[in-house]
This record gives sequence, structure tokens and C-alpha cells, in this order.
Amino acid sequence: MNKFILIGVATATLASARAQDAASKPAASPDVESLRQQVQALSETVKALQQQVKDQQAAIDKTNGSAPSSSPNPETSPVAASISPSPAASAAGHFATEDSSVVSSTASAPAGSPGPGVNANGAATSESFPTTDTSVVSSAPETISSTGAGASLTQPISIGGGKNYMNISFDGLFALAGSSARDLDHIEVGDHDPQQRGFNARNLELALDGAVDPYFEGFANIVFKLNNDNETEVEVEEAFLQTTSLPFNLQLKAGQFFSAFGRINPTHPHTWDFADAPLVHGLLLGPDGLRGVGAQISWIVPVPWYSQLILGVQNGRGGTGFSFRNPGDNGMFFDRRTTDRELRGLQDFVWVPRWENSVDLSPTQVVLAGVSGAFGSNETGADSRTQIYGADFLYKWKSANAEGGFPFVKWQTEFMYRRFEAGRGIDESFPVAETFHDWGLYSQVLWGFKKGWVAGIRGDYVDMEDSRFTDDLDRQSRSRISANLTWYPTEFSKIRLQYNHDFLYENFFLADRDADSIFLQFEFILGAHGAHKF
Amino acid sequence: MKKILLILSTILACAFPAHAKLNVVATLPDFGSLAREIGGDKIDIVVLAKATEDPHFVDARPSFVVSLRNADVLIDGGAELEIGWLPPLLQNARNPKIEIGKPGRIQASQGIRLMNVPTNVTRAAGDVHALGNPHFTVDPIIGKAIAQHIAQSFAVLDPPNAAFYDGNYKKFEATINAKLQEWGAAMLPFKDQHVAAYHDSWPYFAHRFGINIDIFLEPKPGIPPSPSHLTEVIAQMKAQHVKAVIVEPYHDRRIAEKVASATGAKVVEFSQFPGGIPGTDSYVKLIDTLILRLAAALK
Repeated sequence: MNKFILIGVATATLASARAQDAASKPAASPDVESLRQQVQALSETVKALQQQVKDQQAAIDKTNGSAPSSSPNPETSPVAASISPSPAASAAGHFATEDSSVVSSTASAPAGSPGPGVNANGAATSESFPTTDTSVVSSAPETISSTGAGASLTQPISIGGGKNYMNISFDGLFALAGSSARDLDHIEVGDHDPQQRGFNARNLELALDGAVDPYFEGFANIVFKLNNDNETEVEVEEAFLQTTSLPFNLQLKAGQFFSAFGRINPTHPHTWDFADAPLVHGLLLGPDGLRGVGAQISWIVPVPWYSQLILGVQNGRGGTGFSFRNPGDNGMFFDRRTTDRELRGLQDFVWVPRWENSVDLSPTQVVLAGVSGAFGSNETGADSRTQIYGADFLYKWKSANAEGGFPFVKWQTEFMYRRFEAGRGIDESFPVAETFHDWGLYSQVLWGFKKGWVAGIRGDYVDMEDSRFTDDLDRQSRSRISANLTWYPTEFSKIRLQYNHDFLYENFFLADRDADSIFLQFEFILGAHGAHKF
Repeated sequence: MKKILLILSTILACAFPAHAKLNVVATLPDFGSLAREIGGDKIDIVVLAKATEDPHFVDARPSFVVSLRNADVLIDGGAELEIGWLPPLLQNARNPKIEIGKPGRIQASQGIRLMNVPTNVTRAAGDVHALGNPHFTVDPIIGKAIAQHIAQSFAVLDPPNAAFYDGNYKKFEATINAKLQEWGAAMLPFKDQHVAAYHDSWPYFAHRFGINIDIFLEPKPGIPPSPSHLTEVIAQMKAQHVKAVIVEPYHDRRIAEKVASATGAKVVEFSQFPGGIPGTDSYVKLIDTLILRLAAALK
């Protein structure tokens, strides 16, 4: 019995010893091995140098007769200098002292391997100004790029100097509103616009993005907003992935995203130049803009200028597909009782093509022009269709001596036309079918006159065709002029004062025929450095 | 019909050019200049930022997407100087050749030890770069390292011309080594002197040539000078007998002149980028000019 125990213990200890051996070896061996090799390489270098010095001294002794050679040998100093940038020396800083001590016995070792902070003007005492400096160039570049084994896309994206798999940022957009109209939520057409007198928090946005793997990038924008009763609403504004390496200049995007229609629609409210959405955007594309779950393919046309074709397809259902399969408030849209039906086929998707082109007029001037369309069915009848066409234009001048992106002048205009077949509603409950031709445009000029300061003016107009049978308050023609002044203390914060004058027609809402509004908007951005799209 | 064919063939010719030269895109003019030294007539180069504009804020123009789409090589700083405009361009360019990690992507800061790496990153300190100060090319020793990096990458991407690139690097290295003696000697009389600058773009230049560029008109990086801060700067400059205030082409020169006239210092126009000031169409000429101008002001 005892024997068995003894044997057991012996084998156990043996096994554990082996295990330890096995465990320790793979962890330590590469490091130790490489260190060993480095030390060996260094000691060989040192030996070689000593030999060289001896030889040279012998030679000097021969030529000088018998003078004791304690004087520094000028020949060796270039050697000293040439050793220091070798990969071995720079790879391990603490070896450097050994290195220089060998050399300094024979020469003054000018900046043999200056530590960080050692000023290059240590050269004052030496004859030549140093031409290498291991304190700034930390490794031999041959190990860097040529192999392609460097950083890969799957490596954590750095934020704040650390390592993270994604960029995280938070954007808070607030507005203090005053208006001669009591129903600001009717005057303002965008869901993220100020909706009531007093304070508004309509766009508190959490943005995440990063490389998914070597093939995809992922993006998400989750928006929190406080309604007029200060209850929190959450909106998955965008969440999509995008390919990074499709061939033939193609790119695929899939998930929930803003449709690529015009200039304003694909952008987030905090990047807008005004505190609210243009009328034509809110009334024709919808209060939330046109967005939804779907897919999009884009192709950069291989021509010498920038030209991109985009085709998106989305469900276009609900409030974010406003002019399309939108059941409306309480099942009513344009006074029709809506059908609210399931997808029947490809014709019920919203198809969004876009073609955009850009040229540089000069090194300081850029023009971008695009045409867009959005085609699908709507819910006001069994086979009623909606078509929206858009054209947009952007001109930007920026000084050749711009500091912080200022000064600049930017002119942006968008035109939209909507053909809306309003059917007879569910079960043909509405007396007639009619077709509305609505159109509108806005035009705005922004002048960044000084670093951090931007002044802007905007004109808005929307022409809605009257219904011959009802008096729908949402179908009134409107116009507006706006002026604002924005101060960006840095690119992470802004304070904006805006004045709106709305020209409203008779019987429109309950307040005066015209409305004056003032907004004081303020914003902060935390986290990852957002990049600015053009 | 013939016309249509002609137009089509022109478009195709533009789309698929005969692959003769390396298409190189550099985000900033300093990298572009070094690439020219190495690539000579064997490369076609497009530089995105202008030499006279603020490199932190460059518009992400759509035409840049076209350049990046056609690029065989992209040279960027890799130290977040271009973070405000390069990422969306790269997302749109959909060019796998210039992804990070591929031989076609040269990040100039690789192998460079960046200075002033903040231990604690907070934007309360202004526009601080988490990876360290990204204005490193103005140190000629670093310039050489970047040029070598470029030469090695070009050689990998274009092996038939490898010897040409290597030869150009050797030439450039020899020129810089010789020039360093000249520049070092010119700056030697002003060792340890203090110099003021509008923005903290010059720690590498100062480190190389043994001067201290450590008084800044901006209270914090990227934050415009405030009157109270300028009062402090003027007092400090008087106390340390500062003789020069460095401004770059995109800075407000009037502020620098006000400070200069209050302290008896001279305004010196500097640029990090070849072409940013007159007569500096190459890297060597740029450093030549910087040394000449600073030495003249400090005399």
C-alpha cells in the first residue's frame, strides 16, 4: 500500500514538474531566446570592436613609436555613431549603456545613444552634428511595413490613446425656444426640432462605430429624446454594417439607415447648420426624414471626377417612411383611412436611387450636385403610389489659409417634388381618388467669417396642392425665413442663436397668421473624435 | 456611333490606365515632398491638404475619394492629425490596397517615438492628440526615417524599381547628413534660447536644434488666444528675453505682431510643410529656410 502511495507521489511530482516545465517554456522561450540572441550579437560586436581598437592602437603604436595611447581615437567615433541605430541596440534601451561604455573608453561618444531628452546639441563638444537619434526613431523601419504584418483592421481602435474595439461618443443637443405661436410642435416640422416653448432635449445621441472584422464596419446611432411631457423616447436611428473591401468600387450597406436622398436627409441633426429641419424635408420626406430597414449598394463610377451611383431599398413602413407605407396618426393619412397592409411584392418597397457628382472648381472651391428619387406605394389606396424627386446643389469656398476650417462660404440648395396618389382609403371609404403634386425648396448660405463663428440665412418654401374635398391642415403651402449665428468654442461644442419667421396662411393653426420664433441651441460631444463628412 | 465608342473608350482609358507609375496619395505636403524625393519620376503623386491650410481641419472633398480610390499607396501620419477628415474618405474610397496593414499603407509615425504623449487624455486640455504630438516631420532625423520607410514600401510595391528608390534614399540620407552639420552649426549660437510659437507644432524641431519652443500664444492647443493669456505670454517673453514668435500661414498674424511689438520680438513665419512659405518647394529647402529665418531673428 505504502509502495503504491510512494509511486503515486513520485509520478505526481514528476508529472507536475514536467507540466511546469512545459508551461514555463513556451511562455518564456521566445523572449528569452531573442534576448539571448541579442546579447550574443552585442557581445560579438563588442569583441569585434575591442579587437579593432587593439589593432588600431597597435598600428598607432607602431607609427608613433612608443607613445602611450590614452588619447581618444578619432577614427572610432563614427563607428560608435553607426552602432547605436542598429535594431538590437534600439530594441532594448538598457543595453545601450553597455554599448556606449565600450565606445566611450576610446572616444568621447558623441550622442552615441542619447536617452530621451538628451539634447542633440551634446554635439557642441564633438566635431560633428549627430545624424542619427535613437531617442526619436525607435526602431529600424524594415520591420514595419513591407511584410504587411503590421496592424490589422481587427485590432482595437484606439480611443484616448487606449485600445478599444469601437469608437464611442455621445452628443447632447438642446434648445431653449421662444415663439409667438403656442403650438410650436405644428410650426416646426422635424421631430428633432424644438417642439415646445422653453427647454427642449430632442436629440441625445449615442454613436458607436468600428471595424467589425476585416470585411465590415459597423455603425449605430441610438437617439434618446424627451417629449413635451418630459418622458424619454428611444429611437434606433441608425444601425448598419458596411462592406470595406468589395471589388469594382462597390460598397454594400445593410441595416437601419437614412436613405441617401439629397443633402440633409442622410445626416444627423447635430451636423445641421440650422436648429431645425427645412420645411420641404419635414413635409415631403417626413418629420424623421426618410429612413428604414433595408440595403443599399453604391458604385463609384470610374471617371476622372467624383461620381457615385447609389441604389437603396427599404421597407418604407411607418412614420420613417412618411410618404410611403405610412398608416398615419390613428390610421388616417391625408384624411384617408389607411390600408396598413403587408408587403405584396417588390413594388411595395421604397426604392431610392441617387447620382451625385463633384468637381473642384479651384483649389479653394468645390461644387457637389446630385439628383435623387424615392419610389414606392402608399397606404391611402389599394394601388396608390408615391414618387419623390430631388435635386441638390452645394458650393463651398474655403480660404487657402484656413485655420480650424475658417473662413468659408457654403451655399446649399435642395429642391423636391412629390407626386402622391391619394386613393380612396380602406374599403373605398373616401369619396374620390386624387393625385397631389407638391413641391418645395430651401436655400441656405453659411458664412464662417472668423475661427469658430458662422452666420447663416435660409429661405424655405413649400407648395402643397389643395385637396378638392377636404381641408387638411397638414396640406397647406408655407414659407419661412431664418437667420442664425453660431459659435463653436471647439469642434466639440456649439452655441447657436436662431430667428425664424413663418409666413402662415389664413385658418392655419390657431395662432396669428405669421409666427416669430427664437431658438437658443446648445450642444456638446463627448468621446471619439467625430470626422466631418463633406 | 463612332462618337459613342470614342467616349466609351476614353472613359475606359481613364478607368484602367496603363499601369506604369505608382499612384501615391499623401495626406499632407511634408509626406508628399519626401515621397517625391524617393519616387522621382517613377510615381504620380497627389497631396490632399494644402501647404497653407490648417492640417487639423481639411475638408473631406469628394475629389479626394477619387484620388484614394485610384491609389496604390497612401502615406498618412498615423498620429491622429488627420482624424477629423481622413476616416470618412477612407470609408468611401473602398480601396483595399491602402488599408492599414497592407504594404500600400505607409503610416509615417511608425517607428517614430512621439513626444508629449499625454498620460491622461482630457479635452479640457484642448486639442490634445492621444498618441502624442503629431508634428514630427520637421526633425530632419525623423524626416530621414520616414523617407527610408517610404523607400522600403515603394520597393516592395514596385520591385523593378527597387534599386532606384533605394538609391534615391541613399542620396537623400547623404544630403540630410551633410545639411545637418550646416543646420546644427547655424543654430549652435542660440542653444537653450526660448522661442514663442502660436501653436505647439515645433517640439521635434526644437529638440533637434537645441532650442526651447515652449511659450505658446494659444492658451491650450487649438484654443484661440485670449487677452488674459496674451498678457501672461508677454510677461513671460519679457522675462526670458524671447526674440522670436513663430507663426504658421494659417494663424492670425496680427495677434503675433501685437505680442511681438509689446516684447520687442520678431514675428517669424514658419511652415511645417514644404510650399507653405515661399521658396520651399522641397523638404531640404524648407528646413534651410526655417533655420535661416530663425537664426536671423535670434541674432
